[in-house]
Amino acid sequence: MALAVPAVVRGELVEGPLVEFGGRGETGFAVADPAAVVPRLGRRNLALSRELAALDLDEVLDYLAELGARLVDNEYLDEAVERSAGLADTPPGLVRSNHRLLPGLFAREATEEVVAAIGRDVLTGWPERRMADGRVGAVHAFGVRSAHVIAGNSPLIAAMTLVRTAVTRGEAVVKTPSNDPLTMVALVRTMIDMAPGHPLTRAVSVAYWKGGDEALERRLYHPAAFDKIVAWGGMASVKHVVRYLEPGLELVTFDPKRSATILGPEAFEPAALDDVARRLALDVGAFNQVGCVNARVVYAVCDTGAAEDLARRVYAELRELPPTVSTAAGRIDTELRACLRALRAGGFHTVVGGEADEGAVIVSHLDEPVGFAGSLAGRVANIVPVETAEDAARHLDAATQTVGVYPAALRHRLREVLPLVGVQRTVELGCAVSVHPALPQDGFEPARRLVRWVTDEHLPAGSDPLDIVFPPHREEDP
Amino acid sequence: MSSQTATTEELFADDPLAWAGGDYRALHRLGQTELADLQLAALRRRFADLRGGLAVLDAMVADTGVEAIETLGDAIPLLFSPEVYKSYPASLLRRKRFDVLTGWLSRLTTVDLSGARASAATSIDDWLADLDASTDLRVQHSSVTSGTMSFVPHTHSEVDAMFSVVGARVRGGGDPVPVVWPMIRGGRSGIMRCADALAEHVAGGEDNVHAMHPGRMSADVMLLAGQIAAARARGEDVDADPGLLARREEFEVLRRESEAAMPGFVERLADTLRGRRVYLMNTWNTLHQVATAGLDRGLDGLFAADSLIEPGGGTKGAHMPDDWQDRVLRFTGADRLQHIYAMTETTALHPMCGEGRYHLEPWTVAFVLDPATDEPLPRTGTQTGRGAFFDLLARTHWGGFRSEDRITVAYEPCACGRSTPQVHDGIRRLKDVGDVDKINCAATDSAHRAALDHLSGGS
Repeated sequence: MALAVPAVVRGELVEGPLVEFGGRGETGFAVADPAAVVPRLGRRNLALSRELAALDLDEVLDYLAELGARLVDNEYLDEAVERSAGLADTPPGLVRSNHRLLPGLFAREATEEVVAAIGRDVLTGWPERRMADGRVGAVHAFGVRSAHVIAGNSPLIAAMTLVRTAVTRGEAVVKTPSNDPLTMVALVRTMIDMAPGHPLTRAVSVAYWKGGDEALERRLYHPAAFDKIVAWGGMASVKHVVRYLEPGLELVTFDPKRSATILGPEAFEPAALDDVARRLALDVGAFNQVGCVNARVVYAVCDTGAAEDLARRVYAELRELPPTVSTAAGRIDTELRACLRALRAGGFHTVVGGEADEGAVIVSHLDEPVGFAGSLAGRVANIVPVETAEDAARHLDAATQTVGVYPAALRHRLREVLPLVGVQRTVELGCAVSVHPALPQDGFEPARRLVRWVTDEHLPAGSDPLDIVFPPHREEDP
Repeated sequence: MSSQTATTEELFADDPLAWAGGDYRALHRLGQTELADLQLAALRRRFADLRGGLAVLDAMVADTGVEAIETLGDAIPLLFSPEVYKSYPASLLRRKRFDVLTGWLSRLTTVDLSGARASAATSIDDWLADLDASTDLRVQHSSVTSGTMSFVPHTHSEVDAMFSVVGARVRGGGDPVPVVWPMIRGGRSGIMRCADALAEHVAGGEDNVHAMHPGRMSADVMLLAGQIAAARARGEDVDADPGLLARREEFEVLRRESEAAMPGFVERLADTLRGRRVYLMNTWNTLHQVATAGLDRGLDGLFAADSLIEPGGGTKGAHMPDDWQDRVLRFTGADRLQHIYAMTETTALHPMCGEGRYHLEPWTVAFVLDPATDEPLPRTGTQTGRGAFFDLLARTHWGGFRSEDRITVAYEPCACGRSTPQVHDGIRRLKDVGDVDKINCAATDSAHRAALDHLSGGS
């Protein structure tokens, strides 16, 4: 029997009737009938908005902290791990590893950082600023109603979505992906068990439907239902959403991205090489390279021989990564294997590994990434020798999210120039895959984008409004 | 290399029509066992002949550990993906390193390229023209996928063997048949090369080829067009090659003329070929274009009812109305369409029978692979999966090809009376058809115009 995935409408579980969908792997699953569920997701509820706005921020953070504590040894997450085989991009063991990171996102010190990113004062009150023209402007951040089309390669995305929604005291409708229809539902079921009827519980709805189902989506995505659509990942999912945009409905996208690595000549000094290889293996292989943050193309200031030596070392380190962090892919990507064979035959590349599903490191003999660089997956990297680190910049653009760099001095130099071609994040080699939810991502500040910035303005007592409407009036008529 | 006395399997693979004593019909009526035995013997001979002389095959053997071929299925790990034919760094084209590219190409073919003067070439067109002139190689380039161009090293002799079969099929031993070519006449892409062979084997000479435009489709412009389209899909700009910009005027003339040519072309066809039996092979969208141009001018039933109209290659990304086949039939007056299945990497036009099945020419071994694992499905019954082929006609390059098509193959004899395995209609790309990075040969003509627009727009 197919895996049954319930929907959640405003904190209430909807377990049927079920409709079956094919999964991305061989496994299918059955979800609460979208035709019945989706029409219920597009209604605003002013009473709920009032309840949310009236919540004390500390109560919100307490709620999240308790939720986080309940995510340790959680039966719904355990079930999600067990049923993820054939659906998720990674083997169940790595889904479990990701789940072990979830409680940390809800801990008080983590949520306080999200609060600080927006500003505690604007979330809790109306801080005032006296402006140069004399007026007093007070600012408050209000929660909004958002539809989230989330990606399924990392369960952390579901948790970050919940934290941002709660901290801003907004409302979220989450459309889950077929490669992870489970995590978000598990989190929300835990909320229902913990605090049924709580406004924060009722603020979240979750459903799966086939992305791009225009008959359903056309009726859902409109300004009367949502203030924002937050779209993660693949070009297809973003493209689906774009056609529904109109004034009053703002699109926030975490676009499809790639990440890269730049190694200066210092990386090849004998004392550094082992550490560089291990760090690079982590950037390439952590959580099996399913994230946009994982390294794929590695630009290295070296010759072909040094690149081949590094490739052998990285390949060895990939296989030494702890199994909680990285494993063999578990299934052979036949397309990628065919590409690797073509490279071996073509004579312009050296391929280390890639015999089965264990990963591989390709060395380009010329200073050019492989033609299929965008499809590198399952722990396959491409080292490209370049003359200078700056030469790498011509291969990078706004679709480049993260660039891992070694050494630090080079990173300091590159952070001044890479953003000019569109790069959004430079990071110490080895740390690429760890994204901090309270820092900007993809070139913007996600939590600050998920609120309505409202101002309340007045003049000091006794002022003449004409003074600010038309300041020259003061000179003309003293 | 092969022995002096041609064995029967050698003749079967080198010149199937001669092997069959000129009887094309007989080629599709061999017993299943007889055909499989012939194919295996020919495959083993190809493997033995090419081992040691073809660097790319030797590399593949080293990579896969397949040292011997005892059954047809043993060749499966050695099938080349399309990536093999573009496994050179794309920058070599930009840097005009045709000497290095020739070295790469020599890994893919046993044809001696030492006489080629590649270092003198300043464009792909020059490079390929020189290879045409100085060797037996007739490289077929692809349209542009993800910004790169494939080069498949067929030879004149191999293409000749293939089109002598097409000639026999079309002419049935009779007189030459006029070839209608609703495109620019010249070029070196897979389809453009067909026009040369059709001139020889079907039309009986260039005078009997009726092309829309006498010009030549430039490989350089096609590459630029593909790169522009790929760059646009990524929201980027392409810096046009200064050499191409210099040829702007030449391209401009070709563009203006080819855009304007279709109406005059159908009028010329009406004047010169009305009522004649013709041969008209092209992609679905091109056939639809010529039919539309004709019908718009009130021209219908133009040719004899027994004309051979052969659509192949799908829509090439173009939007096609549901009734396009009716419109082609109405314009041409043919009583039926003879659909064909073909790909640049193999030397065959596999014709569809009255039962709606594409019959694989007997020198083509068909495999169906499990798309998830690449494991072969049994060569019995009816199987669906990744289509893979061994083209036994290829004797100077490796004929094993792992396609990107999802196909259904029936191995049992067909109700039409032919015994050869058949590919069902409804061939799909395994990859997502809507992939924005996938710009295929289809868009060639319109992408060609986009490139010319880019060039004429100045920089």
